[in-house]
Formats: sequence, structure tokens, C-alpha cells
Amino acid sequence: MTLIKLNRREIMVGAGAVALTARSAFGQSEPPKPKQIVVNASGGSMNTALRKAYFDAFEKDTGIQVVETSPVDLGKLKAMVVSGNVEWNLTEIGGQDGALVQRLGLVEKIDSKLVDRSAYPKEAKSEYLFASSVYSTVLAYRTDVFAPGKQPKGWAEFWDVKRFPGPRSMRNHPVDNLEYGLLASGVPADKLYPIDMDRAFKKLDEIKPHVNVWWTTGQQPAQLLLDKEVVLATGWNGRFYDLMKKGAPIAVDWTGGSLKQGTFVIPKGAKESYWAHKMLAYMSDPKRQSIYANELGYPGLNLESIKYIDPQAAPHMPTHPDNLSKQFWLNAAWWDDNLEKSMERWKQWLLKT
Amino acid sequence: MTPADRARRRAVGSAIALSVPGMLVLLALFAVPLLRLLALSVEGGSLTAYEKALTNELYLRVIFETFKIAAIVTFFTFVLGYPVAYVMATSGRIWQIVGIAFVLLPFWTSILVRTYAWMVLLGRNGVVNRTLMGLGLIDGPLPLLNNLSGVLIGMVHVLLPYMILPVFNAVKKVDPTLVLAAEGLGAPRWRAFLHVTLPLTMNGVMAGMTLVFTLSLGFFITPALLGGGRVVMIANLIEEQVRELLNWAFAGALSAILLALTLLAFWGISRIMRTRPA
Repeated sequence: MTLIKLNRREIMVGAGAVALTARSAFGQSEPPKPKQIVVNASGGSMNTALRKAYFDAFEKDTGIQVVETSPVDLGKLKAMVVSGNVEWNLTEIGGQDGALVQRLGLVEKIDSKLVDRSAYPKEAKSEYLFASSVYSTVLAYRTDVFAPGKQPKGWAEFWDVKRFPGPRSMRNHPVDNLEYGLLASGVPADKLYPIDMDRAFKKLDEIKPHVNVWWTTGQQPAQLLLDKEVVLATGWNGRFYDLMKKGAPIAVDWTGGSLKQGTFVIPKGAKESYWAHKMLAYMSDPKRQSIYANELGYPGLNLESIKYIDPQAAPHMPTHPDNLSKQFWLNAAWWDDNLEKSMERWKQWLLKT
Repeated sequence: MTPADRARRRAVGSAIALSVPGMLVLLALFAVPLLRLLALSVEGGSLTAYEKALTNELYLRVIFETFKIAAIVTFFTFVLGYPVAYVMATSGRIWQIVGIAFVLLPFWTSILVRTYAWMVLLGRNGVVNRTLMGLGLIDGPLPLLNNLSGVLIGMVHVLLPYMILPVFNAVKKVDPTLVLAAEGLGAPRWRAFLHVTLPLTMNGVMAGMTLVFTLSLGFFITPALLGGGRVVMIANLIEEQVRELLNWAFAGALSAILLALTLLAFWGISRIMRTRPA
């Protein structure tokens, strides 16, 4: 047996290797970079803002190209996970679908070592869901039809077709609308859940003949107001904000708005999980969130981001103190338990003449 | 066995041989996924999805509405498409080419683009209503969009080529001397058309109707965008189950029911064709 004799050169190499390992263990051990990652989101103006606030910086810093796809599609997410062929590294999902994707095991856990959410409110720190922003479904109207002083406030007035005449548009979905019906019939905002469906549908009966269009895509209510197809509509605040920035005669009333969290998830079995986390880290950065908010009217959940929001844009944020107090948070858990049942009843109610 | 019989048998044999590659493609890309869909609908060996679809008032009603809309669309494509096909087939070569171009150009355009175009045209402040009001023909806007009429207009427009092309083909095949003979024997033009041309082109009409009817049953973009939420067809409910509620067993059952009813309709149409006196 020979003793292991190291010569001088070997010792040098060995020491260098130790030093290298030590350096990479110190927070720098990044897995190899892929050429690209795929982020799936709603598309349209939202993707423009995602690019401006997060994707461009991510590409510049990492050299990894961010490929955008759209639209948000829960069925496709399930198909990808079930077939084991996951194309998305990160995807947005609907505000009310968080519980469903967890129940069906379609998403990966978010590693809090890689995504810092210490400045998030505790309701927005889910193990599986990344809350990217806050949005609200609100009441909007034409200001050339309803002059100042004669503008509708809240759902009881949305329902009041004598004082506020004209065609309306609401979402073709029970989410939000059942709550609006209850609010219009006098239920206080903190007593909405569990929803009394009979009472909600009875109130909706009254507004039904005045709803010209039951919208299905987020852009529809904005476009309908712009074309004057309707004069009052419900819709996502960012879509109306976009038109208001361009000078359209449209205004938003926040009373009874329905607050939700824009949500991103890492699909179960998605590759390049590290880099998806890295992207989420960019998306949780307060300064970057404010760029996104100024652009779209959807503020981030990082409470520090408020500091960086443009004062001109601030009153258009659902989280602005004046607006926040007038709205309610949608109860996603109630909807997860009752979605199928209420959607069936909704369709039945809609087809009833 | 006569030589003619042998020739016929040979022809049948080579027809089968020729169809093998096509059949294999259909088997792999159509039959296999279809069987998997059916398997999905009886997930866990239970028929609860079918029971729900066939006992719930909502689904029965939507299935009925779907067939009703398909029948109305088929009727209008016939009424509007037949004259176009007839004029095209009986006019000169140049006009024929122009006609075919006009039929095929929209046929190649995305259905989504055409549907959005109708939204621009048919709205309360759309081109049609503004023109009619400008001419003083109506006082207020007609409700053309976001209801059944919007859906019917959009669907008839998309499906017209499927009626026009088979009928055009059938009219082209009618021997013009037969019409001349009828007229020579004293029949007025309308009578010659009714008793000679129309019966001889019924095969084309039936082919067109079958295509339009079966395609209508599966429509979902047009009703979703032009119906304003008030028109629900079975494909809309299937889409909702697949994409929103993630209940694929139930989506599979609804699809299987739609498929069975479509085959039934198909069978009915082919029986009518066969029993029709030649």
C-alpha cells in the first residue's frame, strides 16, 4: 500500500476546488440557464405591462428569453399536468380558481427561500399560489350620459333603472353577480357569505330585462361602453382605467366592488422550477410591482410597492384607502365549494324566459 | 361470372385497398381519441355523468335548443344558398369564377374575424342600424345583436359555402337539354325548374343540408360572441366543463350524447334520401 502523496501542484488544484465549491454554496449555486422560459397569462394590455415591469428586466439580467403565451386556460393546465407534457413554466389562473388547482394537485409549492414575500399581507402568502396583484370587478358608466351629481353609486343604484335608465352589461357568470344582487337587496357587505342564492337570484330577476349583454371576455364591457352599446357595466377595473387614460368618457364607482387576487402558479411537473421561482422573485419586487400598477391599475401585494405608485394613478387603484373601504373581498373558498352548483343554476336562470 | 362482374369486383377490391391509408389515419387520429373520450365519460365505471346529463332540465333544454338552431340555420342556408348556387352554375365562365371567389374568400377567413365583423355591423350603433335610422326607415335601433337573430345571422354566414358548393356541383351536372325538353313541351320556366332541375339537384341539397346541420350542432364561438349570453348551445356547456369546471367525465358524457344524436340525425337524413322516389 502506498500512502497518498500529494505533490505541490495537486494541493493547489485541490485548494482551488474547495474555494470554488465554497463560493458556489454561498448563494450562487444557480442551475444551468435554459434558453427560454414560458409564462402564460391573460394577454393584451396585461402582457404589455408584465413585459415592461418584469420580463424585460429578467431577460436582461439572466439572458433567458421569456416567451409569452395566452390566454389563461385551466383546461389546458390540467391537460398538461395529466399528460406529463408541461409547456408552461409559470401560468396565471383565475382569481377564484386557487382552491380548485390545489385540490386537483395541479400546482407546485412555492419555495419561500427563493421568493421573498415578507412584505406581503398574511392572507396573500399561500404555499401554492403567488398573488401577483389585486383587481376588482367594479361598476362603470358613461359620463356623457350620467353627468356629475347624477352618477350611479353602488348596486342598489345600478338596479335603479328609473333614475339611471339605459342598457347594461354584466358578466355571464354567477361570480360577483350573486354578491351584487345581495348588496342591491340590502345585505351588508360583511354578511354576504354564505350566499343566500334564492335571495340573490330573486334580485337578479329585476335587472335581467335591462342587461343587453352578458359578457364573457374582460375586454367586452370596456368595448361595449366605448361603443355606447351599453351605458352601465360591470368589469375589471384595469380595463376601464385603460380607457379613462385614453380620455374615454367613462368613470368607475368603487362602491361594492369585488376584490380578488391575480394569481400565478408553477404547474405540477414544470421544468426549470428554479427559474420560475426567480421570475416570481422579480414579480414580488415592490418597485417593479409599482411599474405594473401604474400601467394597468392592478397594484401588487407587496405592501412596500404603494410608496412607488404614481400619485396620478393612485386614485385608480383598488387598494387606495378611499376605494378599499368601499369594497369587499370575494370569498374564494365559498366559490370553490359552490361553483358547479351555482353555474348550473345561473345558466338555468339565464335561459328562463 | 361475367367479365363485367369481374371488373366490378376488381374495382371494389382496389377501392378498398386505396382507402386503407386514409382509414388508418382516421383510426389513429379520430377513432382512438373518440374511444378515450367515451372511456373518460364512464370514469370509475359509473354512469352518473350520463344520468345527470339526461335528467337535468338544463342540459335537455340546451340540447333541444341546439337542434332547433341547427334546423333553422339549415333552412336559411338552403333558402339563401340555392339561388346563389343556381345562378353561379348556369351563368358564363367568368361569372362562375367570380362567384366561386366570392363564396370561397370568406370561407378561408378566420371564423373569429368574421364573427367580430358582425359585432361591428349589427350593434345598436352599428353600420346596419345607423344606415336604417339615417334613411328614416326605423326610429330606434333594431335588436340584431346579442340575441338569437345575431347568432343565426353569424352562423348562416359562416355555413353558406357548405350549402352553395354541393348545390353548385349538382346544378352543373344537370343535363341542360332536359330543361330545354321540358320547356319545348310547353312547361313554363318555373315549372321546368320545379319538376326537372330541383328534383335532379336534391342530392346536392341533401349533402349541403347534412353538412350544415351537423356542423351547426357543434358551434360555440358564434353563439358565445353574438348571443350576448342569452343563446347557449351544447358545445358552450361542454367547453365550460372542460375549461372552467375541469369535470372531464361530464364533458365526455355530454360529447358522447351530442355524437349519438348527430349520428341519429345523419341516419335519419340518409333514410329520407334513400326512400325518396328516383
